[in-house]
Amino acid sequence: MLHKSFQNSAGAALLPAHGIGASATKPAISIAGLRVAFGDVPVLHGVDLAVNKGEALGIVGESGCGKSVTWRAVLGLLPKSAKIGGEARIGDLDLVGARQSVLDRVRGGRIAMIFQDPASALNPVHRIGAQITEALRLHRGLSGAAARAEACRLLDQVGIAAAASRLNAYPHELSGGQNQRVMIAIALAGRPELLIADEPTTALDATVQAQILLLLKDIQRDTGMALVMISHDLAAVAAVCDRACVMYAGQIVETAPKHTLLTAPEHPYTCDLIGAIPPSHGPRMRLTAIAGAPPQRNLPPGCAYAPRCRHAIAVCRTSRPEPRQVAARHSVRCLRLDAGTYQ
Amino acid sequence: MTLLRLNNITRRFPLGSPLYGPRKYLVAVDGVSLDVEMGRTTGIVGESGCGKSTTGRIALGLEPPDSGGVLFQGLPLPRIDSKKWRAQRRQMQLVFQDTLAALDRRMTVSALVAEPLAIHGIGDTASRKECVAELLHGVGLGEDHGMLYPHQLSGGQRQRVVLARALAPKPSLLVCDEPVSALDVSVQAQIVDLLMDVQQELGLGLLFISHDLRVVRHVSDRIVVMYLGRVVEQGRADAIIDQPAHPYTQALVSAMPRLPGGFDHYVALPGEPPSPTDRPCGCPFHPRCPLARDVCRQSLPELLPLGPERQVACHLVRH
Repeated sequence: MLHKSFQNSAGAALLPAHGIGASATKPAISIAGLRVAFGDVPVLHGVDLAVNKGEALGIVGESGCGKSVTWRAVLGLLPKSAKIGGEARIGDLDLVGARQSVLDRVRGGRIAMIFQDPASALNPVHRIGAQITEALRLHRGLSGAAARAEACRLLDQVGIAAAASRLNAYPHELSGGQNQRVMIAIALAGRPELLIADEPTTALDATVQAQILLLLKDIQRDTGMALVMISHDLAAVAAVCDRACVMYAGQIVETAPKHTLLTAPEHPYTCDLIGAIPPSHGPRMRLTAIAGAPPQRNLPPGCAYAPRCRHAIAVCRTSRPEPRQVAARHSVRCLRLDAGTYQ
Repeated sequence: MTLLRLNNITRRFPLGSPLYGPRKYLVAVDGVSLDVEMGRTTGIVGESGCGKSTTGRIALGLEPPDSGGVLFQGLPLPRIDSKKWRAQRRQMQLVFQDTLAALDRRMTVSALVAEPLAIHGIGDTASRKECVAELLHGVGLGEDHGMLYPHQLSGGQRQRVVLARALAPKPSLLVCDEPVSALDVSVQAQIVDLLMDVQQELGLGLLFISHDLRVVRHVSDRIVVMYLGRVVEQGRADAIIDQPAHPYTQALVSAMPRLPGGFDHYVALPGEPPSPTDRPCGCPFHPRCPLARDVCRQSLPELLPLGPERQVACHLVRH
């Protein structure tokens, strides 16, 4: 299902194949009731999420909360042993359970993904030019000089100086930050509607991390594609995204516009997570460490966060909360909020 | 009181074969001086390859400096493998980043914590057992954790075991090399709080090495900022973060994402830290420095005082 608009010549405008025009109301991707289990161990307990076109969405959570598994399940990147249920719709296409041939065209085409460690995601024995043109050939049908010119333009777009000569470099000749830029160039090669960045800067140095995060934000703004940034660092998400979801134990516990989430969070876990980050200015207070650890295998009978929650009441340990809309675009999964008493 | 003093430490590692041509060196640490006070924390911050870990290893005597000296409680470190050295090891302990590598996976938690007690001949079997229980309790682990093996613990629990083991011989100096970098934010807060509690209780001097400026700011009284093996700025933690003087410190502080604004105060810094095998001449920071002038390309700036308790190595800062 290679779209005609994907096959434009190299000089075409930067807009993604599906512009923001007529179909702006439809989300870029909508995930409903996504469940994943490895053997008998459930890791995702029903994730509902829609990413709007042209939106930058952050997914925050601790390790094991399912933030990466969600997107790997959507793209069919999990091992065969994983049992996946629910649906993930991009346009009219459901990606869960889709055939490999369908997924092959979506991955790297309509949805691209970049990973934490660029050095292991790139092939060490191929020049980066070849790795970018491979993506251009597969997803845009470009070859020869046109592909090379487009690869050069992409490298320039991601901020690599002397792009034309860098096409001949091997990944080991570039630094970590430059390799991550190459990964972003490869991801952009298919003109994706949605770019998923899985901890894109965790392996990079502080000053380089800032460069890459701001590059992602600029590219997202210029091309109008949707961006999903998965990160354990709320502050990094704050720097890039418009809206953020907090995940805990395989569920989304709070979704809100960035500013609301950071300044007026409602879920106790979000509050605790913000309190656990050492502040970058102002007086140094004791951090709010969250006692205990996330549940390992099976969820507790009530709210998944109840065992660690400072505001938990009896009902939290017996019944499961459902997401509740507290304001426009702000939903929270907490029982105490229904009682309206905890703060 | 000064617990540990590094005096103009330099450490180079030879590269390649000695047979062909002049020998090349990787200069990991170049003329670093710093102090750790009793009961206080000195933080070292910098990007990868800036020599912060090598500095920590030299401070512990795990790595001999090529020049310069290490004074611990006013005395130079004894020669490695001497008897005095063994005794001295009780006083200085190390906490690592990779806990799974630091703990022997075939030993139980109690055995791991008891080992340093046995090595240093502290107490008898019965009192050691008591001591282990006390240490585990002190770092927030229960007695039942003592029976477990490292792989059965979470990352945060393992870091607690590493800390309990480091505290077992009652050291006066703790060198923490990226102790919380591998942990989740909520667990990181637990360990940072625990470290600060333990320090207050036991009056330990801490040398805290990390790439994360937010964590370093939180735990440290003094901060040392390193770039390519050299100290570019050091001083009181608040002063360094709130009014950084060196252009590199300014960039580092601005590249720290903040809540809720993100990069509202970002000062763009081009490029990446160069490899320490190929250091630029003059000021090592000049290729990336937005303010660099001719003098920066030609001569190496010295670390000079800027007001009380503060030193900066930059030609363009008025001392």
